[in-house]
Amino acid sequence: MSVDAILFWILTLVVLVSAMSVILMTNPIYSALCLAMTMVGVAAIFVTLNAYFLAGVQLIVYAGAVMVLFVMVLMLFDLKHELQSFSRGKFTGALKIGSVGILAGLIVGAVTIGKSLTEVKAVAENAVVVDTTKILSQNLFLKNIFGFEALGVLLLVIAVGTVALSRSKGGTHARD
Amino acid sequence: MLETSFLNNIGLEHYLVLSAVLFSLGMAGVLLRRNLIVLMMSIELMLNAINISFVAFSKFNNNPEGQVMVFFVMTIAAAEAAVGLALAVSIFKRFKEVNIRFFEHLKG
Repeated sequence: MSVDAILFWILTLVVLVSAMSVILMTNPIYSALCLAMTMVGVAAIFVTLNAYFLAGVQLIVYAGAVMVLFVMVLMLFDLKHELQSFSRGKFTGALKIGSVGILAGLIVGAVTIGKSLTEVKAVAENAVVVDTTKILSQNLFLKNIFGFEALGVLLLVIAVGTVALSRSKGGTHARD
Repeated sequence: MLETSFLNNIGLEHYLVLSAVLFSLGMAGVLLRRNLIVLMMSIELMLNAINISFVAFSKFNNNPEGQVMVFFVMTIAAAEAAVGLALAVSIFKRFKEVNIRFFEHLKG
């Protein structure tokens, strides 16, 4: 087994186990910690895919900023016990899990059936230069500059909206 | 023979299957959990699964557009988390709990 393969399987194990514990833990703090572990695993998977800059951004933005936001809000709520952490109803629960399983099976089946289409391209990727950050920045700032600026405007709107939402008395429910 | 090649040669389809399973886990979390915060964590899981498949396609097709798209998805995810958590705070102020069933009182 090559090193790449071993690395991929270990990372897959880490990501899937921690993702499963995100949805199975009843204490939200543990869920948040498992989600941080998942983000770190995904960043490592980005490294195996030669997306070095994206791996750094994933670590800083997701495992840093977004997780701090989540944990801070959780600490604000002081949620210790959690009643009804899962939705009620055994039949509907089985239905939901079944539909999720069917979705996963459909995607996996489609991917494995279309395997012959992807194998041709996998041969060509050996001759690639791995300086992806430069290519990425050129693509972002030369071809997609409008989307980049639009994202800046979106972030401004979101920042103003979030402050307005949490500052108004009672939030969405004005207590009269 | 077949199994070893499946284990050894990591190709595009491995990453796509990983992405699909991760997306399904996130979807199961959204469907099954009732806590709003955990629900949004599950949405983040789904967005991360999409990011993995974007980067995998970007690598195996030699096309940097996929990584640019991951940038956009990350920004949208951060914005969505901020707005959702502000809504959660306002729900908590009113009901002292963040169960999703209180969202039916949001109208009006």
